[in-house]
Amino acid sequence: MTVPHTADVLVIGGGATGAGVVRDLARRGLRALLVERGDYGTGTTGRYHGLLHSGGRYVQKDQVAARECIEENRVLRRIAPSSIEDTGGFFVATPDDPDDYVQEFAANCAASGVDCDEVDVQTLLAHEPALNRRIRRAFRVPDGSIEPWQLIDSTLADARRHGSEAVSYHRVIGFEITGGRITAARLRNERDGSETTVWTQFVVSAAGAWAGQIAALAGVEVEMTPGKGTMLIYNHRMTDAVINRCHKSSDGDIMVPVHTVAILGTTDIKVPDPDDYEITREEVARLVDEGTKLFPDLPRMRILRAYAGVRPLYKPPAEAAVGGNRSITRAHAILDHADQGVDNFVSIVGGKLTTHRLMAEQTVDVVAEKMGITARCTTAEEPLPDQHEGKTYWLGHRLADIEAEGGGDADLLCECELVTRSMAEAYLDRHWPCTIDDLRRGTRVGMGPCQGAFCTFRVAGLVAERLDAAAQDGSGEQRAIHAATADRALGAFLRERFKGTRPIAHGRQLQELLMTNGIYSGVLGLDSMAAPSEPPAGSPTPEVVDAAR
Amino acid sequence: MPRADVVVIGAGLAGLTAAARLAEAGASVMLVAKGHASTHWGSGGIDVAAPVGARTPAEGVRTLAAPGHPYAILAGDAEAAVGWLTGVLATAGLPYAGSLQTPIRRVPTALGGTRRVAIVPDAQSAALRPWDPDEVLVVAGPAGFKDFWPAAVAGSLARDAVWHGSDRPARVVGVAVALAGLAERRNVNALELARRFDDPTTRAADLDAFAAALRSAAGRRPGRVALPAIVGLHAHAEAWADARARLPLEPFEVPLVPPSVPGVRLWQALRARIRATGGRVQVGEQVHRIETAGDRVVAVEMEAATRALRITTGALVLATGGIAGGGLVATADGRIVEPLLDLPVETPPHDGWLRRDALDPAGHPIEAAGIRTDATLRPIGPGGATFRNVHVAGALLAGQLALRERCGDGVAIASGWRAANAIVDTGVGGTLAATSAGHSAGPAGIAS
Amino acid sequence: MTITDLVAEAAAELDPHVSSSADECLKCNVCNTVCPVMRVTDLFPGPKYEGPQAQRFRLARGQQIQGPHSADVPSPDHSVDYCSGCGWCTTACPAGVKIAEINNQARARLREGKRPKLRDWGLGQTDLTGRLGTTLSPLANAVLGNGLARRAMELTVGVHHAAPLPAFAKRTFQATWRKDGGITGADGETLPGPDEAVVYFHGCAANYYEPHLAQAAIEVLRRNGFATIVPPQVCCGLPLISNGLYDDARERAGSNLPVLADLARRGYRIIGTSTSCTHTLKAEYEEMLDLHDDDTRVVSEATWDICEFLLDLHEQGRLDTSFGRLDADLPYHAPCQLRSHGIGLPALELFALVPGLRAEDMDHDCCGVAGTYGLKKEKYDIAMAVGAPLFDKVKASGAAAASCDSETCRWQIQTATGVPTRHPVEFLLDAYRAGDAARTPTAAR
Repeated sequence: MTVPHTADVLVIGGGATGAGVVRDLARRGLRALLVERGDYGTGTTGRYHGLLHSGGRYVQKDQVAARECIEENRVLRRIAPSSIEDTGGFFVATPDDPDDYVQEFAANCAASGVDCDEVDVQTLLAHEPALNRRIRRAFRVPDGSIEPWQLIDSTLADARRHGSEAVSYHRVIGFEITGGRITAARLRNERDGSETTVWTQFVVSAAGAWAGQIAALAGVEVEMTPGKGTMLIYNHRMTDAVINRCHKSSDGDIMVPVHTVAILGTTDIKVPDPDDYEITREEVARLVDEGTKLFPDLPRMRILRAYAGVRPLYKPPAEAAVGGNRSITRAHAILDHADQGVDNFVSIVGGKLTTHRLMAEQTVDVVAEKMGITARCTTAEEPLPDQHEGKTYWLGHRLADIEAEGGGDADLLCECELVTRSMAEAYLDRHWPCTIDDLRRGTRVGMGPCQGAFCTFRVAGLVAERLDAAAQDGSGEQRAIHAATADRALGAFLRERFKGTRPIAHGRQLQELLMTNGIYSGVLGLDSMAAPSEPPAGSPTPEVVDAAR
Repeated sequence: MPRADVVVIGAGLAGLTAAARLAEAGASVMLVAKGHASTHWGSGGIDVAAPVGARTPAEGVRTLAAPGHPYAILAGDAEAAVGWLTGVLATAGLPYAGSLQTPIRRVPTALGGTRRVAIVPDAQSAALRPWDPDEVLVVAGPAGFKDFWPAAVAGSLARDAVWHGSDRPARVVGVAVALAGLAERRNVNALELARRFDDPTTRAADLDAFAAALRSAAGRRPGRVALPAIVGLHAHAEAWADARARLPLEPFEVPLVPPSVPGVRLWQALRARIRATGGRVQVGEQVHRIETAGDRVVAVEMEAATRALRITTGALVLATGGIAGGGLVATADGRIVEPLLDLPVETPPHDGWLRRDALDPAGHPIEAAGIRTDATLRPIGPGGATFRNVHVAGALLAGQLALRERCGDGVAIASGWRAANAIVDTGVGGTLAATSAGHSAGPAGIAS
Repeated sequence: MTITDLVAEAAAELDPHVSSSADECLKCNVCNTVCPVMRVTDLFPGPKYEGPQAQRFRLARGQQIQGPHSADVPSPDHSVDYCSGCGWCTTACPAGVKIAEINNQARARLREGKRPKLRDWGLGQTDLTGRLGTTLSPLANAVLGNGLARRAMELTVGVHHAAPLPAFAKRTFQATWRKDGGITGADGETLPGPDEAVVYFHGCAANYYEPHLAQAAIEVLRRNGFATIVPPQVCCGLPLISNGLYDDARERAGSNLPVLADLARRGYRIIGTSTSCTHTLKAEYEEMLDLHDDDTRVVSEATWDICEFLLDLHEQGRLDTSFGRLDADLPYHAPCQLRSHGIGLPALELFALVPGLRAEDMDHDCCGVAGTYGLKKEKYDIAMAVGAPLFDKVKASGAAAASCDSETCRWQIQTATGVPTRHPVEFLLDAYRAGDAARTPTAAR
């Protein structure tokens, strides 16, 4: 799409928070524009363990955060049911968890308004046989898992319905500031390098861990303390409910079933740059060790990949660095930069996916007041579009849908995640032009155990057919460029998957990786194709690959 | 319990070669394997050695035969072993083209790239001939088949870049051919299509459809047609003869992702050969223990529903594969274990197992992990020889970067052959004579 | 940790249990290359799809804690019902995924909470139908032999009219045994020692349909110095397991196990003539029915397929090999169940001891019937197509008889080819008798 030249409000950052902000603005009658440097949900939102918080993780140390979580949990179940799997969750007391924490847990939940029932341990073990048999007590809470990309998709669709816009692959590279006000932002199109200017009355930075970088463009200081959280994706759901350790939050103490996989989270390590960090084997080993206290067989279960996200933790200037990153508030803060000399610029920092709507509401309240808008927030009331008849997500739906259409595997491009040709075509129809990696987030293609070995070339084939059709009237040269693009996308995709496999490469997953290399190199000759790391000149879609799960 | 002169563990090219050679030499041989692997995953061709710069496999073998590489031991056997095996395959009705002296050339792949080969099944051999300047290459496959995308393959092959300076067709065209009834099918895979070509009636109709599509795509221009490797499974020879006769362009097959039809043909031909010469082949047998006495292996135990099936043996060929094949297991804390005999494994440092870039042209150091052996392929550790009657073959051997060097099949065949010959040589007065008098292999072809 | 532990750990990493074995899948498609059902029909999307792939979309167990709409869709797939359970996929998998077993469990899940089809229930209850059938054998056999009645059966209960249903015996083997005063191992009975006697598990086939097989087995055992104990027993439960009726199967196991375990603990080996029953005793009680008690273990360890047992005698030099000449070609089909035993093909090794007998492995994966699978009207054609190459080979051999260890396979082959198909021990008994005849002067004339 073409970028509009003006917007009432410019929202920077296409994660859940930014999407929530643009939706809220739109519903209050403002014409907002959201800009995102990559694809939507590829920052912290997409690099996340998938938990819809009940608030239980905060009841002891931050009752405000806990209360916000449970309230927003209820709101999201109402407005975005099909992005949520109602897995339920449990806090379980392993022999390693301190008695006082366990004893106070139910009371703390009650004080924060988090629904919590103690359940019979034997009954829980009967449902979840992979759990540690030595668990002493168990508390049930309304945790769930949430699909961030679909949530953002729906949220942006609602914003568009109400007259606002969003563009991806556009990076803010500078602001025009006149008389203490931002009057315009300069954007660079990340696909073709072209630049445009958007004139605006107000700017909201929802750039999360990158908020400091955006603020700096306006000459404002926002000190973020990006906290790297590493997670491990297990090949199968050893649990159908979210399982938390009943203790003060720490590394490797939560397992979240998300779609076909289960995600073990997380670590929390301060990193200087949210774009530059590495996952170490030591982190992986630590996560597995801790996770083993919940699931004793964990060391024998197959890890598909490791990935990391960067928490948008905010360190208020007054707070001294004591107690490491876990002591920094998970709650959010809205920073009005008027006191730093820019009057029409706020940043929303901190927070979590579960409370993104509330964060957006509070942010827009500030914006509205400053802009003299009186319309009230309606985002908690109406369901988002594309939320299938109010039903929550069900793991078996893809299999059931395919069976309902007669079954068979002829049409399956991705056999691990059951992505059919028609599903992929439908995604491409909606989002074209896009990368294979965008298609992955949209459909889960390549996210299963083979990590793309058997589907990537099929998807590349599908994309090539589309490019071929588009180039029917074009020259042979154009087709060659398209073919080169498909190659690079393929190489980029395999490389990105490899990044996540590398830190966990052992056992079956290393075997799979080497088998895949054997096929791509020995049978398919990928190594003969234009060196995927060097984009040829004039390529229409530079690789923008940012893989999370 | 049963006895064998030799037990071979592993049904890849190394194990199959060793078993075929031993059976031919009159040994009672039993090949056991957990399942299928390398044959069913591969191209069906024989990559002997094609390191960068090598003009023929023979030259490649010479380049690779530096100390530390399996060819340092096996170089002298490669030509004879490969020649013997292709001879066996020809007898079995699956002829191969090429030898170690054949020039290495680039042939198209199912991804629209090229790979460097010299020895391939006959059905792939037309791709090896140099391209005349006016030749057209038509890439043709059944419409709707998800493992072969003619438009994508042709689009990619139309670029100079993928040919790396070698001669190439003047023009590349992709054609998807609608085959009768295929669009309605719910399960279509390469094997399924190959069986379709086994049937003479369907085959005739399908080839006619291909022929018509080729005529309209190529017109009267000279050229060749690249087909996915699906032209017949059990009746491949007949199907291929038909394809050559009925198609207006000279065809060649392009191997696909697994299941590899050319690989399954190769497996079937060698299995039949081993059985016909009195050997036994049992897939689905998980060896879970190997019994040793001093420096000798005396029996192999297979997992069973209750009592392990114990086979006493005079010698063992260990051809269980590398990490990809499951013969070596990498643990989370950086060890690589050979789980059957706990042989010493030459292991690169944990930090350097994998390079940063998945597609690093130098390959990944972990691929070179494996077992060191003496000249007769007996495993050696830091303290010298480990077992006197164990011979290691194939991807288990340390020091090869098979993907980069394109040497996996050649090493497998040469080492299978060397292991078999070593056993025959030592066994004439020992192993074979000692056990062949007992209850041994039983009737020809008794196992599946 | 010693190196032995490390090796064991590495091996354990590659030796998964059914439930978690889907984790091991490399997606390499080898299983699809060997599936006999996928080869002939589109109704079954193949072992990779149904096994490790679909498994990730089936809730592990906690449906109670799932969303509100999931209760009415308990199992997302139905095509898994077309898996015949032959087990070839599990055999060929290089990574150790127990594909057939995963499918079997999924079939059971499919039926959970639903009333079983009358047909599946009936085919599962082989002991009940057997008891009724033998009691009413003239009438029952008339019905089975009557084309019109079989058409009616197809319409009403869904058993294909041409499917191989054997005739009922006039009297069960058990009844004959008791009437003749055979040893039953009852309290107070004096038993020969465990080196002189074995326990015979006859299974439903020998009891209701083929008592002559039971007699042949007993005679072959007798010639090798073993008396036979036939304790009270019911169906092993396999037909119930393969029709997804696990609870009923557990009930059968519950009545067999104490009796058999008691004898096993006293040192008696349990010998069976049905590879299916013996495999159930050996492995499926534990693997499929989740029975992990000591009775299950001792019974499993004491159980032998009869050919496995005889070959073991031979290995020890204890088999009576005074076989006479049987000048014949003998096409032999190794049943799928036999592969799951992991004992090789002992029948062929025994046949090799019989002078003149030219046994030939038909080298075909599956006859198609797979227990009760091929009897069902919607699967009959699939089963016939799966077995077609085998039937062609058997017919082309021109042999007067064929052999196979498993009863339903024998009936399938015999019905499809018209070639009488018998258990291997029946041929061994023929050979013993031929030997006797050759040694007696009258027969020599």
